[in-house]
Amino acid sequence: MTILKKIKENLFLLIVVLGYVIMFLARPAMGIESVKNSGYYIKEMLMIMPAIFVLTALLDMWVPKEKIMHYLGKDAKAKGVFLSFVVGSISAGPIYAAFPMCVMLHKKGASIRNIVIILSSWAVIKVPMLINEAKFLGPKFMVIRWGLTITAIVIFSWISAKIIKDEDLPGEALAQPGPHVNRDACMGCTLCVKNYPALFEMQGKKAAIKTQEQIILNMEILQNTIEACPVHAIEYHEE
Amino acid sequence: MDIFTLAIWVGTLVFLGVSFARDKVKTKQALKMAFGMGKGMVANILSIIFAIGLILTILPPTEIASFVGNRSVLLATIAAALFGTVTLVPAFIAFPLVGTLVNAGVSVVPAVAFLTTLTMVGAVTIPLEKKEFGLKFTVIRNSLSFLFAIVIALVMGVMI
Repeated sequence: MTILKKIKENLFLLIVVLGYVIMFLARPAMGIESVKNSGYYIKEMLMIMPAIFVLTALLDMWVPKEKIMHYLGKDAKAKGVFLSFVVGSISAGPIYAAFPMCVMLHKKGASIRNIVIILSSWAVIKVPMLINEAKFLGPKFMVIRWGLTITAIVIFSWISAKIIKDEDLPGEALAQPGPHVNRDACMGCTLCVKNYPALFEMQGKKAAIKTQEQIILNMEILQNTIEACPVHAIEYHEE
Repeated sequence: MDIFTLAIWVGTLVFLGVSFARDKVKTKQALKMAFGMGKGMVANILSIIFAIGLILTILPPTEIASFVGNRSVLLATIAAALFGTVTLVPAFIAFPLVGTLVNAGVSVVPAVAFLTTLTMVGAVTIPLEKKEFGLKFTVIRNSLSFLFAIVIALVMGVMI
């Protein structure tokens, strides 16, 4: 059962590994070339991801929820849209670099629409890219494509927000009152157990709330622990 | 390293320094959190990277270009958009490639469709996106991006 679940969780990784095995058996030369091709992307990742992770964690720690809600939430309207475009276009790195940042922003109250805008503009509207485009395809081409792309993102982010609700994103399900660990999101970093050993324990490779004993919650420690969880797997619901 | 990557590094390091000066415990926690995030994503990111390497070997961009160049505009556009979806090519390869295509007389419509789906829609990033944002979000964002990539391409064709 757990093995099956593991396979399901890592299906994509398995397919990729399998692809390489087949490639190396059938065409060793092409297998080596594939590894070489991956080299550039590894460099690209190492160049940006450590900074992105640290930056996301720092923003998560220091920027209060109300601020994010105010600037990127549902009621931020045009200001939110504009800011999202700015955040997306001054970014660096491939689209997956935007994922941890956007998950954090959404958890802190950014709207679905603005998340879609950040992700999309992160992918297509980078300033260094624009210079490259103007060089190879001409400034007129670049300006028109840039304008059209922004228009398209404005439209389809609006459509996305109409279809996708906040609850559709993971970790939004409401639970019973009290502290709660979302075991699907938990990745077993043990940070919560270290921060609040009286309340949390590891069950297998995932964190859980100790059930044996009823303790009086120390809300300050609990709040810190909730904020420290890298995947935001801990929630607290008031009674 | 381009200037934006550099700026993000500098900004992050300054932020880290300020954070450390103001609250050591909080900063340590943030670093642990960052490490945890990285650990949670590294397997997925490596899968993406090695999948791209494999795809680029099976479908080299130059071959895609010659394939797209020899078809009717409509077929070429859809094919280009699909190719763009399965691959993720760095901009410094994609732009010269598309530039050569357009200069060689190929219609701009497939070229633009290729450029847009290359970066915005990612078949290889879907598993990670699904894990982070859920299935519905991933499906809708990627299909809308794909559709609008074709719309952008068609409008470009009229305007240029």
